[in-house]
Amino acid sequence: MMLSRSAFSLFWMARYLERAESQARLLDMSLTMALIDVPEDRVEQLSVPLLVSGATETFYQFHQQITPQNLLDFLVLDERHQSSLFSMIRNARDNALHVRGNLSADVWESVNQAWLDMKELRKQGITESNASQVFDWVRERSHMFRGAAYGTLLRNDAFHFLRLGTLMERADTTARVLDIRYVMAMKTMDENSTQSFFEWTAVLHSLAAFEAYQNTYGHELEPMKVAELLILNPDLPRSLRSCLKDIALLLEEIEGETGRRSRRAASSLAANLRYGDKEYIAERGLHEYLVDFLDRIEGITSQIRNDFMGWK
Amino acid sequence: MHIQTPAPGLYDELFDENNRVRPHCRMLEQWLEKSDEGLIAEKRREANVLFQRLGITFNVYGEDQGADRLIPFDLIPRIISASDWQKLQAGLKQRVHALNKFLFDIYHDYDIVKAGVISAEQVFANPQYQPGMQALKLPRNLYSHIAGIDLIRHNDGDFYVLEDNLRCPSGVSYMLENRRMMMRLFPELFAHSSVAPVDQYPNLLGETLRAASLKPDPTVVVLTPGRFNSAYFEHAFLARQMGVELVEGADLFVHQNKVYMKTTVGPQQVDVIYRRIDDDFLDPLAGNPQSMLGVPGLYSAYRTGNVVLTNAMGTGVADDKSIYPYVPDMIRFYLDEEPILKNVPTWQCRKQKDLQYVLDHLDELVVKEAQGAGGYGMLIGPTASKKEISEFRSLLRARPDDYIAQPTLSLSTCPTFVDEGVAPRHLDLRPFVLSGKKIQMVPGGLTRVALKKGSLVVNSSQGGGTKDTWVLEADL
Repeated sequence: MMLSRSAFSLFWMARYLERAESQARLLDMSLTMALIDVPEDRVEQLSVPLLVSGATETFYQFHQQITPQNLLDFLVLDERHQSSLFSMIRNARDNALHVRGNLSADVWESVNQAWLDMKELRKQGITESNASQVFDWVRERSHMFRGAAYGTLLRNDAFHFLRLGTLMERADTTARVLDIRYVMAMKTMDENSTQSFFEWTAVLHSLAAFEAYQNTYGHELEPMKVAELLILNPDLPRSLRSCLKDIALLLEEIEGETGRRSRRAASSLAANLRYGDKEYIAERGLHEYLVDFLDRIEGITSQIRNDFMGWK
Repeated sequence: MHIQTPAPGLYDELFDENNRVRPHCRMLEQWLEKSDEGLIAEKRREANVLFQRLGITFNVYGEDQGADRLIPFDLIPRIISASDWQKLQAGLKQRVHALNKFLFDIYHDYDIVKAGVISAEQVFANPQYQPGMQALKLPRNLYSHIAGIDLIRHNDGDFYVLEDNLRCPSGVSYMLENRRMMMRLFPELFAHSSVAPVDQYPNLLGETLRAASLKPDPTVVVLTPGRFNSAYFEHAFLARQMGVELVEGADLFVHQNKVYMKTTVGPQQVDVIYRRIDDDFLDPLAGNPQSMLGVPGLYSAYRTGNVVLTNAMGTGVADDKSIYPYVPDMIRFYLDEEPILKNVPTWQCRKQKDLQYVLDHLDELVVKEAQGAGGYGMLIGPTASKKEISEFRSLLRARPDDYIAQPTLSLSTCPTFVDEGVAPRHLDLRPFVLSGKKIQMVPGGLTRVALKKGSLVVNSSQGGGTKDTWVLEADL
C-alpha cells in the first residue's frame, strides 16, 4: 500500500530518467550519422531525435534550422520546454523530492547528483566537442540510478511503480525509434551498401542492441531480423516483448485488486508479443504494427492512472 | 591551528574566564591544535559537497522558489558537559510539562486565570487563542507533543530560556544530519570521547506520535505544505526515518468526519497527523479559505475526536512572547516546583510602566514582536542605527501591545571556522522535548551560530549557521 501520489511520482521519476537515457543515445547516434551521411541527408539524420520526442514543432519556434549546435542547445540544455535532457532530469529530481520517504539514500543521491551535475553542465554549455562526454555521463547516471534502485530498494510497491515507469518508457521508445529509423534504413537498401550498413547499425545502436544482434544473428544485417530482435526477442531488455512481459509481471505484484483492468490490458499485449511472429508483422506492415502497439501502450498508461489514482 | 581567544566579559564554551581550556573540552582543543588549516579546509569542502548531494538544503522566503541553499555548517562542535545537560534536561522537561498543563487549563477549567496568575485578557484576547479548542478532550491531555525550546548561555554561565516553540518547531533534522556528517568526517574524534548518541530521535518521535492516539496501532502521517516550504527537507527526512507516509493536503480527504489518505489500494484511515502546517492553513473551511495546503473538513474531524493532530491546534497562545514572562509562575502553579531554568527578564510594553522603561532604554534593549518568529521584525538596540531606533519608537507608541523587550544578552561564544581563522562566534541552543506516555529527550539539540563577527542573530534566514552539539555522557 502506498500513497497514490507517491506511486505516480516514482513512476514518473523513473520514466523521465529512462527518457533522458534514450534521448542521449539517440542524439549521440544522430550526430555521428550526420557526420557520416552525405550533406543533403544530414538534416534528416539530425531530425530523428526531434521526431521521436515529438518536439519538431517546438524546435522551430526557437530555431530557424536544424544544425548540430541548435539541436544540442534545444534537446540538451533548453529549459523552456519539456523535451530537453535538462527538463527531464529536473522533472525526475522534482518527483524524487516528492517521494524521498520511499527512496533509499542511494537512490535519492543518485538522482539528486544528476540534477546538481546538470546545473553545472548548463553553466559550461554543450558543443559538438563535449557532446559525447555528456551523453556518456547521462547513460552512466541512468545506470547508477538503476543500480541503486536494484541494489537498495525494498521489493515493495514503490519499487514496482518505479520499474513500471522505466519499462513503459522503454517500450514506448523502442517502438518509436524502430518506426522512424527503420524507414530511413529501408530507403538506403538499394543504393550504397556501406551507407545501408551504417543505417542498420544506427537502428541497433540507438537502442543499445548492436552486440545483441551480433550474438543472435551474426554479422549480416537484415531488416526483418532487426525488427524481430527489437520486437519479439525474449532476452533483449529493450525488446517490446521483454518489456511487456515485465510490465505484466509487475502489475501482478502490486498489492490489492484495484489494478485488474491494467493487468488485463498488459497481459493481453504481452501474450500477443509472446506468441507473435515476424511473418505476422510483415503481413501487417511494420509501421501499422508499431502504431497499433503505441496506442495500446498509451491505453495501459491511462488505465494504470485510472486504477491507482482515479477513484474519488 | 591558532584559536582566537574570546573577548573578555563573555562566556565562551571552550575557554574559561582565564582563557584556560575547560576540562571537558580539552580533547577538542588538542585536536584543533594539531589539525592544520589545509586539512580543515578540505573537510569543509567535503561537507558542503555531501550536504548538497544529500539534498540537505532549505528555501528562504522571498527568494526564488526552489532555490536550494545550504545552511552553513561549522565543523567545530559545541560541547555541553554531562552535569550541565542533566540540569538542562530536568529544567526543560519541567517547563514543557507545565506548558502542556497550562494549555489544558486554558481550554478547560481556567484555574490559572481564576487564581489571578495571568489576566483573562492576556489569555483569551490573544490572537493565538482558539476558542474552538475549549472543552475538547485530547488523548492524555497533551497539546504540544513536540516542543523546541530556545536557550542561550549568558555571561554568568547559566542557561536562560529565550523562547518556547510549541507549534511546529523545526531544525531537528539538522541536529541529526550534523552528527552524521561529523562522524563521517572525523571518526577519530568520536573514538576518543564519550559523546551521547542522538540518532534514536526518530524512534522516540514515532513512539510519541503513536502515543498521541489511544488506538493500539494508529496510522501516522507527516503533513507537509509541500516542497516549496523552507523545512520540506526535514518533513521528508522525518517521515522516512519513522517509516510513515509524507502527505500533502491533496493526499487527504475527510468523509463522515474521518480522515483518509488516497492510496494505491483505496482510502486508508489516518489516526495521527504530525502536521507541519500552521493552524490557520489546516482546513480551508475553518481557517484561511484561500489555503490550498490544508484538508477541507479536517477541523470537524478533529473536533469529533476521529483524528489527532500533533501538535494540537491552539498551542500558539502558550509560546507567545507576551505569555512567556509567566512560564516560571506556571511551573509553580501547576507543579508546585521552583523553575529549574531561568527566564530572561522581560518588559511587556502593554504595561504602561514597562513601556516607559523600554522607550527610555531603547539603545540597550532587544525589542521583539510578541507574535514574531524567525528573527524578523526585531530591534537590537546596541547595534541599531538612530533611524531604526526612532522607527521602533513610533511603532511601540502606536501598538505597544504587540511588543516585548529584553535586556541585550551576551550570548555565549564558541570557536568557529571563519575567513580569518578560528574565532569566537555567538550561539544559541534548541533542544527538543517529546511528550507522549512520558516526557523524553535525546541528549543534544540544534546549535545555531551567528557567523558574522559580533552578531547575535543566529537564524538561518539571516545568515546563521549550525554546529554539531555534543552532550558528554560523563564529565572527566
